[in-house]
This record gives sequence, C-alpha cells and structure tokens, in this order.
Amino acid sequence: MTAPLSHLDLLEAEAIHIFREAAAEFRKPVLMYSIGKDSTVLLHLARKAFWPAKIPFPLLHIDTTWKFREMITFRDAAVAEHGLDLIVHTNRDGLARNINPLDHTPSIYTDVMKTQALKQALDAHGFDAAFGGARRDEEASRAKERVFSFRSAGHRWDPRAQRPEMWRLLNGRLGSGETARVFPLSNWTEKDIWRYLAREKLAVVPLYFAADRPTIERNGQLLVLDDARLTPAPHEKIVTRRVRFRTLGCWPLTAAVASDATDIDGVVAETLSARTSERIGRLIDHDQAGAMEKKKQEGYF
Amino acid sequence: MSARQALKSAAAAVTSTVTSAVAVAPQRDLAGIVRVLTCGSVDDGKSTLIGRMLWDGSDLFDDQRETLRKSDRRVLDGKHLDYSLLVDGLIAERAQGITIDIAWRTFDTSKRRFVIIDSPGHEQYTRNMASGASHADVAIMLVDARSGIKRQTRRHAAILDLFGVRRVVLAVNKMDLVDWSEARFREIEADFKALQWRFGFDAAVAIPVASVTGDNIVHRSANMPWYQGPALLDHLDQVPSAATQSTGPFRMAVQTVLRDGQDFRGLAGSITAGTVRVGDTIVDAVSRREARIARIATMSGDLEEALSGQAVALVLDRDLDISRGAVLASPQSAPKATQAIEARLVWLSEQPLDPGNAYLLRTATDLVPVARLDVQARLDLETLARAPASTCAVNDIAVAAIELARPVALDTFAVSQATGSFVLVDTITGATVAGGVVTAVADATTRVAAPDTATRNTVVILSRKQLAAGVCADLEGQAGSEGEFRRRAGEVAKLLQSNGVAVRLDLDRA
Repeated sequence: MTAPLSHLDLLEAEAIHIFREAAAEFRKPVLMYSIGKDSTVLLHLARKAFWPAKIPFPLLHIDTTWKFREMITFRDAAVAEHGLDLIVHTNRDGLARNINPLDHTPSIYTDVMKTQALKQALDAHGFDAAFGGARRDEEASRAKERVFSFRSAGHRWDPRAQRPEMWRLLNGRLGSGETARVFPLSNWTEKDIWRYLAREKLAVVPLYFAADRPTIERNGQLLVLDDARLTPAPHEKIVTRRVRFRTLGCWPLTAAVASDATDIDGVVAETLSARTSERIGRLIDHDQAGAMEKKKQEGYF
Repeated sequence: MSARQALKSAAAAVTSTVTSAVAVAPQRDLAGIVRVLTCGSVDDGKSTLIGRMLWDGSDLFDDQRETLRKSDRRVLDGKHLDYSLLVDGLIAERAQGITIDIAWRTFDTSKRRFVIIDSPGHEQYTRNMASGASHADVAIMLVDARSGIKRQTRRHAAILDLFGVRRVVLAVNKMDLVDWSEARFREIEADFKALQWRFGFDAAVAIPVASVTGDNIVHRSANMPWYQGPALLDHLDQVPSAATQSTGPFRMAVQTVLRDGQDFRGLAGSITAGTVRVGDTIVDAVSRREARIARIATMSGDLEEALSGQAVALVLDRDLDISRGAVLASPQSAPKATQAIEARLVWLSEQPLDPGNAYLLRTATDLVPVARLDVQARLDLETLARAPASTCAVNDIAVAAIELARPVALDTFAVSQATGSFVLVDTITGATVAGGVVTAVADATTRVAAPDTATRNTVVILSRKQLAAGVCADLEGQAGSEGEFRRRAGEVAKLLQSNGVAVRLDLDRA
C-alpha cells in the first residue's frame, strides 16, 4: 500500500499540474529563472512535469549586471547540466544611462533594470505567459494573487480585475493584449522550499550556505562586497563575517545574515526555527508603504 | 536613540535571532493540507479571528509581529492589537476598511499544514465566497453572539452546500460582549442545528469564541467553563483532509501527452479520485475504448500504484489516440460522454449573461463551445426556493440547461467534484464569467430540454465528412491524427461561435 501523501507531495503534485495546464493553454510560455532557491525548485518541478520529454519552453533570466558572480556561474552550470534553452536579457538602455543600485533609489533601479527589462524581453519574444516563483506567503499583496495572474496591455496588474479561480480549473484564454503570469509555487512557504530542496537533494548557489565573507554594515544591514564597484564610506569598515543569504538578488540590495549553517541540513534547521521573514533582507521592499503592491501594478513580477 | 542607532540595534536583533536557533521544528513532511474557508459578514470580526489564530497558533515571524505591535491601530479601548491587520492586504481595501477578495494564509501546527482561505462577507461578494468554497475542505462560519444566525448566515450555508463543502464549524464570536452567556450560545447553537439539518452537512459543530481576547481560538477559554468542547484550532486539527482521501472511482483528466522518441507516449494528468495500479483496465470516457496500464511513470521512478492527488504520466498497453480533454476512468463507473447537462451556476462576471454572446465550457481539461445556455430558474439562497428566470447576473445562483457543441466526459458533482465542475469562459474576452456544478448528465444523444426552434437561430452541424473533405483533408489516412482532427474541428466551431453562429460538431465515425 502506498503511503499517504504528505504536504510536500501535495504541493509538488499541484505545481506539476499547474505547469502542465499552462503549457497546454498558452501559445508561447517562458520560465522566469532568477537563479535563487525558488527558481531551482521551479526548474526541478518543470522537469518533473514534462519528463521524460524536455521542458517545452525556454528560460529567461533578467540580468541586471549586479547579480553575485557565483549566481551566474551556477546558472551556466544548471543550463549545461540539463540542456536548457536560456535567454539572458539586460536593459541596454538602462545600462547606457548607468542606472545602478548604488546611485539610484531601489524603486528607480528596480523599475528600470528589472521591471522595464522584463517587459522588453516579454515583448521582444512575444511570450504570452511567464512562470514565476512567487509565493503567497511572501508578502501581503501576494496573499491574494491568483495562480494564473493576468496583465493588461503594458503588463499592468489590476488587483480588482483578476479572474476568479474555482476548483483546479485554470482558465488560460487570453483577451486582447493580455499576457499571463503563472505561479506554480503559490501555496509553498519558504520552509517548504528548503524542505523540498533537502528532500530532492538539489544543488543551490553556495551563497545560501554560511562562509567567511567580506562585509560592511550599511543602513543596519550586512552587505557582502562582491566586486569593486561599491566603495565603502570611511566609517564603513570591511569586516570578515560568517554569513549566508536567505534570499538572492542584486548584491548591493541583498542583505546577508550571520549564520553557521554550512550545508542544506543546517539551513533547513535554521529556516524552520527562524523568527523573521526572508524579505526583511530585501531592501527594495522597505522603500515605501505597500511597496510590493505598487511595483506589481506597474508590472514587476 | 538616534535613527542610526535604532537601525543598528534592529540589525543586531535580526542577526542574533538567526544564530540562536531555539527548539528546532520537525523537519519531516506534515501530514497533509487542510484548506479552511472563513465566511462571515464584515462586522463579525472575521479578519480578527484569522489574525488571532495566526498570532496564537502559528509560526508567525518576529518582523510580522513587530509590524503589528508598531501599528497605531488598536481595538477595544486601545487595549488589544488589531489582529485583522495581519490579514487585510491590499492598499485599496485598507483604505475602504473591508476585505475585497480572497486571501490565502498558510500556517503549520505540529501536525499539519493549514491554508486559510479568507472570503469577504459583503453580500455583493457571493461570487468570491463561492470560489473560495470550491477550494475548501472545511468552512468556519462566523456570527456575532449579539445577533446570532442572520439572513446572510443562511446564504453562506447555502453556498457552502452548493459548492461542495461538507464540513462546517460555526464560530460564535464576541462572546465577551454577551457576558460569556451559555444561554445565548445554546440559543444560537439550536438555530445552527436547524440549518445543518436543512443542508445535511456531514459534520457541523458550534464553538463559542472571542477573537480579540483569544478565548477558545487556540487556547481553551477560562471565561466559559461551561463549554466542554475543543478550541477552534484543536477542532480543525481533527478534520480529515479531502485531498488525501482516495475514495471513489478512479478519475484522471488528461492534461497533455508526453512523448520521448518512439518508445514513450505518456498521458499526463492529476488523479482526482480513486487509485490506479499497473495492470488495471481503464476506459476513455468519450470513445469508450479500454486499455490497460503498462506503466505509471514519474521522474522520481515508476510507481506500482498512484493515488488521488498525485500527478503522473500513464503509459497504456495500446494507443487509444486520445489527447488533452480526455477523462480516464475505471470501466465499471465511468463518467458519461454528454452533450447536454443540467447545472447550478454562480455568475461571477459584472456583465450579465448575454444570449448573443459566445461562451466556452471549461471542464477539468477540456474546452468546448456552448451551443445553448438556458437559464431556467434563480435560486433564493435564503429560502432555497426556485424563482423562474431566463437570465442571470453577478452573484446570482442559477439553475441552467446547457448544450455543448460536442460530447465531453462529465460526472455529476455529487459523484466526483473534479470531473463534475466547470467554469464558463467568454469566448472573446477570455474572462471567467461563471462557475458551475453538474447536477444531471443526459446521454450523448438526448437533450435536457426540448429545443425551442421557433426562437432559436439554426444550428450549423459540422460533420466529420465535411471536415475531412476540407479543413482536415491533409490528415486523411494518417495514424494518430485524431487529436489534431478534433482540435481543428474545435477551432472552426470556436470561430463560428464567436461570430454568433450556433454550431454542433458531429464527429462520430460513420
């Protein structure tokens, strides 16, 4: 007799179901691949959904040019290992105007190098649906997000005009000018992600594990210096600290936490007993009240 | 303390809490997922009840607690935190002070995962409650102890019943405002029992609570020693999780066909009822053709048996030439292939039903043009009386006869929820305009209601012969082309439908 299904079994099955529905319903989907732990789980589930066939859509990475170098190394290794079709897009216009996370506010930088870049890539390739790793537990406005989330022309999100979703019936029929975002991990939590990474023995970017790294303290958060583009202020001493990351993004905007968890079991143990949510390490969300919801309305993923 | 110092100490707090790992929670999987719908009107304090459950009973993060403590919103003469702030998300609804949509909240007890589905209480949001109910294993109906069971409570019970929620808890809230009165609680409990008999819920209990003070939410109340039952969360911990129950006859709707070279052809889908084993005989509900299960394939390895809730790829011992939309079932109790159903609908769209508009019926994995949709009655949710009607608008619950352009595999909702439910889709805008449950299924050739030819436009019949002569001429004689043939037929029908022409597909082989 087969063992009863655990909550991770059910979450996995639900995500596979969503991937298969979206691949059947949309003309040209793409998987948003941001290299982090959620993307790693997302990619693994996509492989499971279509195995033994290949994933029937490409991956898209929006490269702001400010990702940790280890992230790019990990990305290229993952692509090679699984024979994936990866598209890398950077907002060239933003780069030419030198929009960067050191001189610009997080909201301006994120809008130009992430939100605008994403719209450019989706439009250029004519993608009508994009898979993302967003979870409902991440943030208040995400708690109301649909599994199939529709965007009007210009990729705008109107929280009041979202389609009701009943049972597991995912209606992917697009109206004129509409595109969709698809969230197979909607019902997962940060803890589930780590439990699943451990269960499936998946490799993640080593930055998630504690190591001695050069850090400075800025605005109450620990930053790991990934290259020479950031010059510490005179009062900001570079200190080697044993740190890791709970979430990965652009390095000047992603805070590290002190930790001794050097492997996945250590991280699972730490995550299951953590007292703060992971987005506390994302500086962009603290920028303004209701920050995430505003960003989403403008087309942020 | 300067702002800079404050930030520094905040950072120290963050780093220290992570290193000082306290008791480590179990790393194992939790035993299943239970989805709990909460319903009540705005003033019953529903958001506060959920917030309180999260605050007292769950793994809420410190920064989330801190945000709430720092808020200047307080309730009950400023003595208690406003727990509803943990739930009310969107900017728009914060401004309005009401919950406008469904919110999903996850929390874990030591045993299991709970997903709280928060649905709004305003009458005009019946549709949101219905859509919330479609996801729920159990519902908490919330009433104010001062007002008891109201018109709206009856409406909520009716919606739960219509959309398949079989287990209900009545949380009698604000007991603090009726001096923790047992008499008052028993009075409301009696009204609730009457309601339960009317709908025949499988399980229904009433629990006296006070959300703001936390009495009987997670911890047993010291203020109500006369109440001997469990606290709300203890009760929810005992509710069986529907997703992990493998009762009922086997059903799997095919989502897509996976191919790998010449050797592998897997019918991919999620098992929504029953179990399936290698060697079992299954039937394709529409063609009535049978095959045996040769493999149950997953990337983690082949399975001998798969249960309801699992996503798999089934390899059959012979090619049935079926594709997305097919429903595989146990031969003894397969769903019917039907072109005519009777259904109950909840109208979700702000645009009322428009007889001139073209709609598509979306079943588990099939999408079929609606040839005809006759609203026969609207349901009064309070009295459950049927009022004759010919149209319906947002938040209406209607009884309708629906004819489809070709046969699809459907169960009645009572037999199998996943293959007995559907949504209606607007052909042009793509909007989901209604959700429905199948209450009766006619045999493939008969109609539910007699056709009213005098007032209807002619129905164009597209036959297999016509399609084979033109649009599908290139497919003639090709093995395995039936799926493509049907896809093209469906697309032609959709194009005609969207231009107002009623179409019926006749794809039976001569």
